Amino acid sequence: MNIIYVLIPLSILLMVLAVVFFFWAVRNGQFDDLDTPALDVLDDDQPPIRSMNSNDES
Amino acid sequence: MCCAGCEMVANLIHDAGLERYYDFRDALPERPEAIEISRENYLAWDREAVLCHYTKTDCNDISSVSLVLENIHCSACSWLIQRFIGTLPGVQEISVDIADGRALIKWDKRQTPLGDIAYRLAQLGYPPHLDSPEASADRNQVERRLMLKRMVVAGLGMMQVMSYALAGYIGAFQDIDEQTARFFQLVSMLVAVPVSLYAGQGFFRSAWNTLKHRRLGMDVPVALALLVALSASIFITLFGSGETYFDSVVMFIFFLLVGRYAVMVTRQNAGQLHSALARSLPNQVTRVLNGKTQEVGLIELEVGDYVEVGLGETIPADGQVVEGEASVDEALLSGESKPRERHPGDFVLAGTQLTRGRIVLEIEKIGQDTALSEVVRLLDRARHFKPRAALMADQIAGWFIAFVLVGAITAGWVWWQVSPSHALPIMLSVLVVSCPCALALGTPVALASAARGFGRLGLLINHPDSLEVLPKVTHVILDKTGTLTLSQMALVRCLAPNHEEISEHHFGAIAGRLERVSRHPIATAFRSLDDGGGVQDAEEIVHQGVQGTIDGRKYYLGKPEFIANQLGVAAQPPNASAWLALADEEGLLAWFELDNPTRAGARDLIATLQRKNLTVWIASGDQEAPVQALATQLGIDHFQSQCSPEQKLLLVQELQRQGGCVAMIGDGINDAPVLAGADVSLTLAEGADIARTQADVVMTGSTLESASWAFVLAPKVRNVIQQNLLWAISYNALAFPLAALGLVPPWAAAIGMSASSLLVVMNGRRAGQITNHRHTPGSPAPAKAQNSPLAALTVGTINLSTTSNGSKLL
Repeated sequence: MNIIYVLIPLSILLMVLAVVFFFWAVRNGQFDDLDTPALDVLDDDQPPIRSMNSNDES
Repeated sequence: MCCAGCEMVANLIHDAGLERYYDFRDALPERPEAIEISRENYLAWDREAVLCHYTKTDCNDISSVSLVLENIHCSACSWLIQRFIGTLPGVQEISVDIADGRALIKWDKRQTPLGDIAYRLAQLGYPPHLDSPEASADRNQVERRLMLKRMVVAGLGMMQVMSYALAGYIGAFQDIDEQTARFFQLVSMLVAVPVSLYAGQGFFRSAWNTLKHRRLGMDVPVALALLVALSASIFITLFGSGETYFDSVVMFIFFLLVGRYAVMVTRQNAGQLHSALARSLPNQVTRVLNGKTQEVGLIELEVGDYVEVGLGETIPADGQVVEGEASVDEALLSGESKPRERHPGDFVLAGTQLTRGRIVLEIEKIGQDTALSEVVRLLDRARHFKPRAALMADQIAGWFIAFVLVGAITAGWVWWQVSPSHALPIMLSVLVVSCPCALALGTPVALASAARGFGRLGLLINHPDSLEVLPKVTHVILDKTGTLTLSQMALVRCLAPNHEEISEHHFGAIAGRLERVSRHPIATAFRSLDDGGGVQDAEEIVHQGVQGTIDGRKYYLGKPEFIANQLGVAAQPPNASAWLALADEEGLLAWFELDNPTRAGARDLIATLQRKNLTVWIASGDQEAPVQALATQLGIDHFQSQCSPEQKLLLVQELQRQGGCVAMIGDGINDAPVLAGADVSLTLAEGADIARTQADVVMTGSTLESASWAFVLAPKVRNVIQQNLLWAISYNALAFPLAALGLVPPWAAAIGMSASSLLVVMNGRRAGQITNHRHTPGSPAPAKAQNSPLAALTVGTINLSTTSNGSKLL
């Protein structure tokens, strides 16, 4: 049973990693809009010409 | 002192004699950033343009402004700001909302410039920002991210700690050795303590804040239970032996956070509507000065400026068209989906969009005075109001918390006498299971959700209690012209001179051609009949009629008296309604009956009201015949014609004396006294009128559909609130004795309490939902409601974002 003295600290380490990764995702806005991305796939329009214009302006 | 900035603040606080700040503060303020704060940073705040845009000045020259402050943590911050800024000359009132970090300041700008106030705030360590919709969106985002982080930490922590606890439980049956059991306890503590301190900090803070104000908030028993369970478990782990409650603590925090997250989402969604509206103004506009155009910021505009608005652009301020013609999409404000033609002299509103042409307009109202701002203000107010029911729930919750605390201690004490090992878990169970979260959350969630639902239907709640009064209404009084009917005239039928009914096709076309010259509202009734043919020497005789020559024949169209004068023979209209006569040189050709057409949704409204067994009245200033005709058409039994506003008020009072609760639906401007006399008043307002109406409920748009919804949804909201209160009270009444008798272990208490709050939150969200069920007014209504302009804004956040991107790209 001595293996648990290794495995359980390892599980805590994994949890800490998961929390760190999740915080990173939240900070990067991954969870800000949960509705729009689901509908993006339905949008067939290709906007390359417009985006070039926007580059000009910004 | 960590830096020079702190020292400066400390000195500032000391010099002002505000040392008591240190007694009040409960969190160390953020370290000041290294940026030098100087008065120059806030020079722009004194400019007239900024003041015009962000502040509202009342008749006594007292301005009010809402600022978003950084670094607001606690009531000590609020206390410090109130004491420090409140003593500046000319500052009348300053209130700081700790919850969303906004400060509302009322002050006299002649005595202290806004820049001074801003500079002082920045000096204190609370850099102010002018309250723009972006600022509140940012704050929403920060809040949401924080909640997400806490929730996930609590969730992951819960899984870990529970798996260790499970090992302990199973181990109890399978002879776990002493050392391993202790190892699991230690590991549990190692995970549970930081997790609960991080994820539960919101509860500890808010409990501490309410306690400091000598009040009992709903977080007090929560925080107390968490702290007692945590510290007892730590003590047991380190020094004693026995059961620990780490798993229950973390689970409790996680479930609580899930409930709070749902509440937050509901509240923020309700707010989204208003920020979406407020965002609809452009940031940059084209100002025309001495024939030259110049791109300037929106806030630089002043009343009297000329602004050019092109195709696809949004009108930045309320004003009058001076040049050019355009189609304007006013869907945002009036609910009219068809664009309207706007010519020089016409009024256009901020937030509306040009779909054709380009115009130059002279600005009459900017910033906070525009109709759009009023809509935003009403929506905002609806979100924050607390009707009596909510206040009552808060009060009950306050007493209930005291009861729970006393009860938990008593139960703990009694069990200590009976069996000391049970005292702690039972006390915890009592504290957790009977936390009045459901009681305190139920009403606000229902109201926030209702505010969103109403907003989407174009119903703006002006008076908080109207939601409570609406379900009690027994009599509904409707105004005729402008409410049940449109203000414009329309053709009803066409009669031959011998009063036989004939098709309006031929004579209507002639009338349509003749009326082309007329600017009188009646002319619009014939516009659709105009066949586009030629007409010569057409002329309008003011207040009489029109005349003109078509294919060599001279025609007259107008009032019966006018025709009689022209022909020299008597022209007797068929009945007392409004009639126009068409004649040529030889004699009378046709009669046209005109009336105000019934407004869309009127029939549904009456049907809905009658289905709810309400007595419907029409009170109109019109002649008897048209009022009676309309009453018959709509199936209304009671009507009063030729009423002055005073007589309408008398009718309202008479019905009230008979014990009725009267709702008045009318014209917000002419019927103002009647509206004020009714128990609850609703008005239909389009565009600029929204800002002027004083009714309890303002319906934007051009149909009466939203009125039906108001009568359908208000009882629903009330029912949901009642269900929530009933559930919360009965749950607590049942759970409390069970827990006190020791029948509920702490973990079950955590689940039960959280499930109860979640249930209440979910039920509360129902309050604003527009569902299609049997009692909805008319079957096509829900689809229409989705088409409502305000709905388009919220439902289609995607829509909004693409258009805003689009305009940026153009």
